[in-house]
Parts: sequence; C-alpha cells; structure tokens
Amino acid sequence: MSNNAISVEGVGKSFRLHRSGTRTVKSMALDILRRPGSGRKDFWALKDVSFKVPCGETLGIIGANGAGKSTLLSLLAGTKVPTTGRIEAKGTISSLLELGAGFHPDLTGRENVFLCGAIMGLTRRQMKERFDAIVSFAGLDEFIDQPVKHYSSGMYVRLGFAVAVEVDPDILLIDEVLAVGDVEFQRKCIDKMKAFREQGKTMLIISHDLGTIQRISDRILFLDEGTVQGIGDPDSVVSNYKSMARSKSVGGLDRVWGTGEVSLERVEFLAGDGSPTDTFSSGSGLLAKIFYKANMRVEDPVFGFSLADSEGRLIYGNNTQIEKFAIPSIEGEGTITLHLGELPMAAGTYLFSFSVHSADHRTNYHRLDNCFPIAVESTSSFEGVCFIPSRWEMGGTTSDKGEDNGPA
Amino acid sequence: MLSLIKEIRARRELLQILVGRNLKIRYKNSSLGFFWSLLSPLFLIVIYAVFLSLIRIPIDLPVLVSGIIVWQFLAMCLGDSLYAIVGNANLVTKAAFPRIILPLAMVGSNLVNFLLSCVVLFVYLIVAGADFGVVVALPFLVVTQAALCLGVALIFSTANVFFRDTEHILSIVMLAWFFLTPIIYDPDRVLTSPGFPGWVHVLFFANPMSGIVTAYRMILLSAQNPGTAHLCLSFGVAWAILCIGLMVFQKAQPRFGDEL
Repeated sequence: MSNNAISVEGVGKSFRLHRSGTRTVKSMALDILRRPGSGRKDFWALKDVSFKVPCGETLGIIGANGAGKSTLLSLLAGTKVPTTGRIEAKGTISSLLELGAGFHPDLTGRENVFLCGAIMGLTRRQMKERFDAIVSFAGLDEFIDQPVKHYSSGMYVRLGFAVAVEVDPDILLIDEVLAVGDVEFQRKCIDKMKAFREQGKTMLIISHDLGTIQRISDRILFLDEGTVQGIGDPDSVVSNYKSMARSKSVGGLDRVWGTGEVSLERVEFLAGDGSPTDTFSSGSGLLAKIFYKANMRVEDPVFGFSLADSEGRLIYGNNTQIEKFAIPSIEGEGTITLHLGELPMAAGTYLFSFSVHSADHRTNYHRLDNCFPIAVESTSSFEGVCFIPSRWEMGGTTSDKGEDNGPA
Repeated sequence: MLSLIKEIRARRELLQILVGRNLKIRYKNSSLGFFWSLLSPLFLIVIYAVFLSLIRIPIDLPVLVSGIIVWQFLAMCLGDSLYAIVGNANLVTKAAFPRIILPLAMVGSNLVNFLLSCVVLFVYLIVAGADFGVVVALPFLVVTQAALCLGVALIFSTANVFFRDTEHILSIVMLAWFFLTPIIYDPDRVLTSPGFPGWVHVLFFANPMSGIVTAYRMILLSAQNPGTAHLCLSFGVAWAILCIGLMVFQKAQPRFGDEL
C-alpha cells in the first residue's frame, strides 16, 4: 500500500464556456438553429496535472490568478469531477475553500455549526463533543445563539475556520484564508496549521502570501495556465515563480529588433559573489554576462545597456563608447561582462535593455529593449526610485543617522 | 440504486438537519409560521368556491378543500425544486456530499408541512361531518404522492441548474397540470360525460395526480372508485416518474459543481 495521502494522475479539467453567458432553453434553441455546437467552447482549466502528496506533508500551491489553483482544490474536495485522469485521496477531507460558505444567514451560529458538521459527514454526537472547542476557538461564546446574519464578517470567518479545523480531518484543503481576519486571528490560524502539521496531517494550501506559504510548506507546487511548472523545495519554486511573474509583468514594454550582424544570444545575471540570480538586494553589486555571436567580422562595435523601472521609465544607461572601453573588432562567439557597483534602487522590479550597435550609431545590430527583468529587494524605506546618500544637520550639530538609511 | 439508498442512509443526519433547516427558515422561527403556510391554500379555496358558485358549477366544499390541500403538496415541491440545487450553490460548490440529499430534504420538509395541513384537513372534515373511507390506506397514498413529488422535483431541480429559464416552463406546466387534475371539478365529469371515449379516460389517469387526488377523496370522503385499473395506472406512472427523475439526476449531478 502506498504512503500517499493524495495521488493525482494526469488530471485535466475542461469547462464548457457558453457564448450566451447563463444558458437558457431559449439560448440553446437559438444556438442550435444558428449552427449546432457553435454556442460553446471548451476551456481547459487544468491540463495533465500529476503529483503525489505523501501522508503528513504540507503542500503549498502557488500561481497567478486563473492558473487553476482553486479548480485543483475543488477537484480534490470532490465538488468538481475531473474531465480526464484520476484522483485518489486517503482519509477524510475537510476544505476551507471559502470560510463559512455553507452558513445560512437565518440560522444561529449553533445551528450552522451542526449543519456544517453534518455536511462534512460527522454525526451529531461527534459534533457535540467538538462544539465547545469550536466556540472557544472562534471566540464567539456570547453570540453563538444569534442568527449569523448579525455576525461581522470577521466573526463569520472565525466560526468557519473553527468548524473546518475542529472536525479533525485527515486532509485539510485551505484556499486563501490567510488573507482574511485580523492579525491576531491569522496568527491563531497559522498556529493551528502548525499543530496540524505536527499531528502528521496532510495539508494543501493556496495562498498569494508567498512569505507565509514558503515558511509553512514542505514542498510547493507551482501552477501556470493549468499545467504544473514545478514542484519541490519551497525556496527554489518560489523564486522560479517570482522570475516568471516578473517576465510576465514586463508585458508590452519588451521589444527586440536589429539588423543581425551581431546577435545577443543570452544574458546571465550574477550577484557580486558570482552566483547566478535575478534577485538582488539594494546596495549590492550586479554582473551581467552577455553572450554574443558575430556572424561576420564587425569593426568598432559598441555594447550598451540601460535600466528602467517596471513602467519603462529610464533610470540609467551607458555604453562601451561612453566608458571609453574600446573594442577593435569581434567575430564569432564571445562574452562581455557589465559590472554595476552598487544598485541604488528601491525595492521593485526593474528592466534591463542591452544593445550592440555601430560606433556611429547608424546601424543597430541587435537591441533587446526591456527584455530582462530583475528584482531588487530592500529593507530600508525611502521615497522615490533611487537611494542618494544623505544626512541631516540641525543648528551646528551633525547627525549620523543618515547612514542607517542606506541600502541594506 | 442500492448503493444510492446506502449513501442516503449514511447521511441521514444531514438529511434531518436540512429538513429542520428548511422548516425553520420557512416558518422564520415563529410558532404561527405554519399557519401562515395555510394561508395560500385557504385563499385558493375561497377564490375557487366563489368563482365556481358564480358560474354555477356545483362542487362540494370538502371535495374542493381536499383537492387543493393535496395539490398544494405537489405545487410547493415543484416551486421549491427550482432552488433545491441552485439555492444551495454555496454547499454544492464547497463540499462533497450526495447531491440527492438536497431535493430529498426539500421534499421532506414539504411532506412535514403537508402532514400538518392534513391534521387541519381532518379537523375540518370531522366538523363538516365527512364520511371517511379506508383510512389505513392513507400512508401508502402519501408515500406514492411523495415519490411523485420527488421524481418531478429531481427533474426540475436538475433542469434549473442547466437552464435558468426553467421557471417559465415550470409555471406553464403547473397551470396545465392543475386543470388536468380533478381538483376544482369532480372526475365524474370526465368519466361519465358521453363526449369522452374510453381512451380519454386512460389518458386522464395517466396523469398520476388524477388517481392520487381521487384516491385521497375515496379515503377521506368515500368518493366513488373510478376503476382500480385507472388508479393503478396513476400510481404506476407516479413511481415511474420517480425512477426517471432519479436517473436524470444521478446522470447530471457530477456536472453541478461546474455549472453553478
């Protein structure tokens, strides 16, 4: 017998999109009259997804909006049926897909708790045993016999979470719950999840809060447009996800052009210590290693770069000509490396452009505008794009505090 | 089919809680709530009693009252069936449980409501000095009507998931069904009229409600037996509709989560 709590094999899920929005008998009849089958289109929310979750593992699921995360969880929860493939789950599943979703506004908290328990398949006796724990976890002692329509949204969510965790499932599915509730309640939730983990329960968590999901997960699954882009160690998967999200955020600003005598094949970004990365901390150094290929002998080529913010506003740029770095000629393949001393920018995404052109600027051999996103992380806070060393002076005394504002 | 019954048995507590919830919401937690639910059949009775006497169609008040009360059970189930699944979309899309529990609970709560109405009906009939028939057959009849109600509710609750204009179709169906059933008239008008040959009688009792309403009147008012074969036809159609409803519902229910 396998030791997997969940195994997903080649799962695909297609939805039928109707041209006319909500479907009615009338619209269906009209569609048939127009052209049979023309009123619908299939949309694959998930394609060939396979993974296994061993018992006791906490798996985080990340991806952009519309990547198929929630669809995946609803397949696991059994509220949707996969179009292709197989899903096997061992043990009871409780889902926090939407906290308090099953609550009826006219019923009291107490009645809703028993209703939820029954929906999750617990007997009345089992629910009675858990009832006090649920009420105290939710902190609703005074209000439990009030109709839930009088609850605040926070109370609603707390009760929903309390029910879902106290039913004590073998597998817990959590969709974006860390985003709700106050700080105090979020801490309680995370504590509860940790306790769950220590008890050896299996959890699947969806969240856009990458920091938390990275901390709490054993492994992370990265979904993009319905396919698995990676599964494994949280740090590396999250950094892949961030790179991908950045390349997408470049959207529309990137442009590639040129005559082609020389082509820029690829660019590698290295940290000051020489390790490849595309995330830099503010104030650290950056190396960009440019791999070029000259298809013929080219005299006096000029290599240039520029750096822009995520909206394409130019921050800085220069080239080998300005820097008086003479390159007599190039032919065949080679590399040229750009060294940047200290990145002075605030935290954010920045876009590198690289170019190679003739000394008289008449011929652009190859230009890659805004094609290379990098991330800058910073712990210091200041207004604007760039850090400028500064200090304050009052009367005649000098403050040294300015130094603390420097890049981390 | 056997596995379905097993599934429902396993979740009977959920069924109970949902029936309780439906009743509580309908009566809005007020003790007078049930009497409010008698208001609409009462209005129907008054309207038809006045209307029929105005156009000089003779009908016994007990016949009319029993007909309306019995019809009301089906009418409520049909009306509620539209929302049995769609109205519980939050449960259907968020939790996995046998979907059939939802229409079942809806029919269950209407059954409770109907049984309470029957108590009122009995009191009225005793006061009116009705001549009761074989009252022990009543449970069988109620079960048969409940089966019919569940059958049609399954079909319409499924239809409304996929086609949101089911409502309009249903109101036409209900109007036609009401007048094809001997509620505000005596079945004898059809059976003894020389204009209607034998096959019309068969067609008339192919409407399961014709046989059911007539059978209620046989039990409650010692009405005349329209022919055992006719009654059996009605009852058979009622159970057949339940089977069709179950097949339609079970076939469609995996897709509910996608459509809601």
